[in-house]
Amino acid sequence: MIRVEGLTKSYPEGSTALRDIDLEVDRGEFVFVTGPSGAGKTTLLRLLLRQEVPTQGRIFMDGQDLATLPPRRVPALRRSIGVVFQDFKLIRRKHALGNVAYVLNIQGVSRAEQRRRAYLALKGVGLHHRLGVLPAALSAGEQQRVAIARAVVGEPALLLADEPTGNLDPDLAVEIMRLFREINARGTTVLVATHDRDLVRRMQRRTVVLEHGRLVDPGGTP
Amino acid sequence: MSRILGKLRYFVGDAADEWRHSPGVNFLATATLASALFVAGLLALVLSNVHGRIAQVRSEAPVDVFLEDGISEEVRADLGRRLAAVPGVEDVRLVGKEEALRRFRDSFAGLADLVAELQTNPLPASFEVELARGADGAGVVSDIRRELARQAGVEEIRYDRAWLDRVEALLSLARVGGLWLALLVFVAVAFVMASVLRLAVYARRDEIEIMLLVGATPAFVRGPFLVAGVVQGLVASVLSVGLVEGVRRVALGWGNVHPAALLGLVAGSPLDGAVTLLLIGTGLLVGVVGAYLAVRGVRA
Repeated sequence: MIRVEGLTKSYPEGSTALRDIDLEVDRGEFVFVTGPSGAGKTTLLRLLLRQEVPTQGRIFMDGQDLATLPPRRVPALRRSIGVVFQDFKLIRRKHALGNVAYVLNIQGVSRAEQRRRAYLALKGVGLHHRLGVLPAALSAGEQQRVAIARAVVGEPALLLADEPTGNLDPDLAVEIMRLFREINARGTTVLVATHDRDLVRRMQRRTVVLEHGRLVDPGGTP
Repeated sequence: MSRILGKLRYFVGDAADEWRHSPGVNFLATATLASALFVAGLLALVLSNVHGRIAQVRSEAPVDVFLEDGISEEVRADLGRRLAAVPGVEDVRLVGKEEALRRFRDSFAGLADLVAELQTNPLPASFEVELARGADGAGVVSDIRRELARQAGVEEIRYDRAWLDRVEALLSLARVGGLWLALLVFVAVAFVMASVLRLAVYARRDEIEIMLLVGATPAFVRGPFLVAGVVQGLVASVLSVGLVEGVRRVALGWGNVHPAALLGLVAGSPLDGAVTLLLIGTGLLVGVVGAYLAVRGVRA
């Protein structure tokens, strides 16, 4: 599903976030991308979401080269990917249901269907009793679960999560990972960037290790 | 079709939400545009009333067609018929030589001795041509001149309101100059609005980033801002038209108590439909252009 070839990302001020990365992720896989802070995990995810373009090398997603993807096709790419961010990135003035339904709204789904599917997604993360609550009134764990519901409501083929448990206590982190496992079990490819090695060990999934922008371990079945 | 309506409903709902969350910015943008439209509307009202007043003065002033002495009754009657047939002529009245002399005596009583010494009456007979209300005086006079050209028996055609032509020429100049000035002002207002609306966009930059990251197209993100621009334009223009009418009515009330020429220029007829539509159209256009300038930087 994802094929990365000789990927390098440098910035004008001279720093290099990723160097010559080769990586493949099959459809339906659950992959952790781990490594210390500054290893390049977030940069890799930003490149996959086409927030940035490679300096060298290529990234193929379902055979589509993201480096040469024209800007007008970027929104469609992003609609095929669910994303969970460390800082949740919820729209502050929309309540939980509105945040989740927004993804369906931009896909042109009818209003009634938006509400139905957003409700089911929130139910799936155990938050169906907090539909009308604004993000500011939700706990960190609840906000992250709303973000996960938003990421999966459009039934994306790929789910990217950047340090999704970084702001959560260990029990909540395990709960979030259980949700990811369920989502993966339904056929969605899941790519989680985290520096939490304990969590990775407990999950027993393929783990790609980055250090100083280099791929030091492409991972394998644990 | 239902998808487009659904999008539109979302844009309108989100724009309303935006008004609720940033009332200050939206009020500032609307007030800026409303002020410019109010000044333009007031100027249009004054110009229109001055123009109307000139037309009225012009139509009330008669055209005098002086006749040569000694023309036959038949020629005189023919001239009278021809004058009455000219479009824009309301009434034609013959002022005979005796009547002209009597009027002269009444008007210049101090010259009574001089008049008494006259052996003959030097004043010519004339036709007093009254123009129809609202008629274009200069145009009618031109038609009369054309009708009576090379006509025997006419000594002179006099129309004493030529100065109005000069005033009207100045007004036309003011109107053209005003239009260019208005155009410049509204371009400037569009940029001012864009700057103000950019504050709203800036305040929502995190939200816009999120929307783009989850797959919204830039057009989808810009939509609510553009609808907000349309609403601001509409509110500002309706407000300004209402204010102009309010000022006119206040001037009308004051004018009855303290008659003053300047008040009369405001207190005349209300803005006509075309000017009202032009103001509303301008408001909408400036609102949309301002909003577009503010959000055109939103890109995937």
